Amino acid sequence: MSTPAALVRVMVCDDDPMIREALSEVLEAEPDLIVVGAAADADEAIALAGELAPEVIILDVRMPGGGGPRAAREILYRAPRTRILAFSAYDDSGTVAEMTRAGVVEYLLKGTPNTEIVAAVRRAGALREARETS
Amino acid sequence: MSDTTPPPLEADFRLLVQGVADYAIFMLDATGHIMSWNTGAERIKGYRPEEIIGRHFSVFYPPEEYAAGKPERELETAIEEGRVEDDGWRLRKDGTRFWANVVITALHDSDGTLRGFAKVTRDLTERRSAEQALWESEERFRLLVQGVVDYAIFMLDPAGHIVSWNPGAERINGYRPEEIIGKHFSVFYPPEDNAAGIPARELELAIDDGRLEDEGWRLRRDGTRFWANVVITALYDDNGILRGFAKVTRDLTERRRAEQALDERRRLLGHLVHAQELERRRIAWDVHDDSIQSMVAVGMRLQLLAARLPEEHRATLSSLDEAVSGTIGRLRSLVFQLRPTSIDRHGLVSALTDFIRDVVIGWGLKPGLHPGDLTEEPPTETAITIFRICQEAVTNVHKHAQAKTVDIYLSTVDRGTMTRVIDDGVGYSMPGGRPEPKEHFGLIEMRERAETAGGWWSVTGTPGHGTTVEFWLPTTKAPEAKT
Repeated sequence: MSTPAALVRVMVCDDDPMIREALSEVLEAEPDLIVVGAAADADEAIALAGELAPEVIILDVRMPGGGGPRAAREILYRAPRTRILAFSAYDDSGTVAEMTRAGVVEYLLKGTPNTEIVAAVRRAGALREARETS
Repeated sequence: MSDTTPPPLEADFRLLVQGVADYAIFMLDATGHIMSWNTGAERIKGYRPEEIIGRHFSVFYPPEEYAAGKPERELETAIEEGRVEDDGWRLRKDGTRFWANVVITALHDSDGTLRGFAKVTRDLTERRSAEQALWESEERFRLLVQGVVDYAIFMLDPAGHIVSWNPGAERINGYRPEEIIGKHFSVFYPPEDNAAGIPARELELAIDDGRLEDEGWRLRRDGTRFWANVVITALYDDNGILRGFAKVTRDLTERRRAEQALDERRRLLGHLVHAQELERRRIAWDVHDDSIQSMVAVGMRLQLLAARLPEEHRATLSSLDEAVSGTIGRLRSLVFQLRPTSIDRHGLVSALTDFIRDVVIGWGLKPGLHPGDLTEEPPTETAITIFRICQEAVTNVHKHAQAKTVDIYLSTVDRGTMTRVIDDGVGYSMPGGRPEPKEHFGLIEMRERAETAGGWWSVTGTPGHGTTVEFWLPTTKAPEAKT
């Protein structure tokens, strides 16, 4: 990785443009986070993840093209070291379980304060070493 | 009697007559006075020989017969015709009556002079009462058949011609007896059935199997149709020879109409529920995909703004942000109420788990979900109905039961899903036999939901020992179910 170790490379993925933009702004406002790309559906998320190799992905659950679960499974299949945070307006037990099985490290409910989102991204970024040794 | 007859044989003959106990056999002189008496006569009539010999035989006749001159007339007939036979009441010595078969034969000597009469009497009282009983039972049966107006009950001969007709048949089929007796029963069948040879086939099947039951359209006299249930039974005599058929017909037109109306109502209700669920799901997703996402984006931007603005605006923005968060929470529960979206993807148990976690615990109830005996996941449409009824039942527990616990049991039973919602509250009882109007509405809605889905629903409660809501829905997919 050529990026300085202090910077966490983040990709956002949501089919709602307002969420994509607002979320990108929230993350960009943090000096240690950099948004490397934004995807609007599962296919784009899989393609961009392969291309940009982000360390952390914030992934919507309900999206066209197979939704968050499929995107998470395929991204992690290609790049197992990627840390994925689910980001959804739902936290029903079935969906949470499905995303957990797909390999996400944390599940964030939409409406969570910005500070908590940022903290979760930082936690995921810090998992880097743990992932690399596993 | 000839003088050449050997005396020993005559003596034997006398012994024979004397010894017969089942028949009263005795002689009358030409004027009707009793000249001899045998054992049978003594047994049947109760007189000893010395009491009766020499008396006139009219003592055996009841007063009304005697007054009508019957004894004399019988002797006259016997003289004219050689013999007379009669059945009628006769008197015993003790005045009781018995039913007698009497044969009186006039006896002439060789030159034709009337010597007297031989009288043979049998006591037929027992046989008569048996015959009477049979006749009465047949008569009662005839009256029964004749009295029945709800069933057409009639007989056919072996070839299918009508030989009897009851008022029920007249009422249902419209023919009077004189119009229909003798006609072939195929007149009751519509032309298409006659063309297909159905009447003849039904008789054949009745012969083969003893009876035949069928439902179908039949014709009345005026040509209108009715929906009939028909049972044809083959009738055999003691020798196994076919004597004809008994045919019993019921008019089920009204019942069929009522059933169809009910089916139609259920079908419409089913469509209504289905359409309502589709609409709810559409609104739920709209709220999720549009309103909630917008509010979430607004919230994030408000928080960003708060970080950039001078200190004095922070409080205003913070309260705005709280309003937005509150709205998001309310929208989320609105979506859940409209449609537990997880039911589509993760099934009934998942949806009930979320309902308990997000709603029921908040009511202060200690909930339990027991899906252990659910071996087959119900199809989505059924799962939604089960979920809705559980939602209503548990809401009722919250509002009315004053319960500490509520448990939901799910099991797969009889190709369907059985659900029990059991609480430990005050126990459902209907004050004055009726539930509160508002509560009543909820109960009716639960029951209608279950019945619309082809199942059943019941509520039982014991005061002080809780309430059980129990319902069963079949595992059949609703028509045009689409997810």
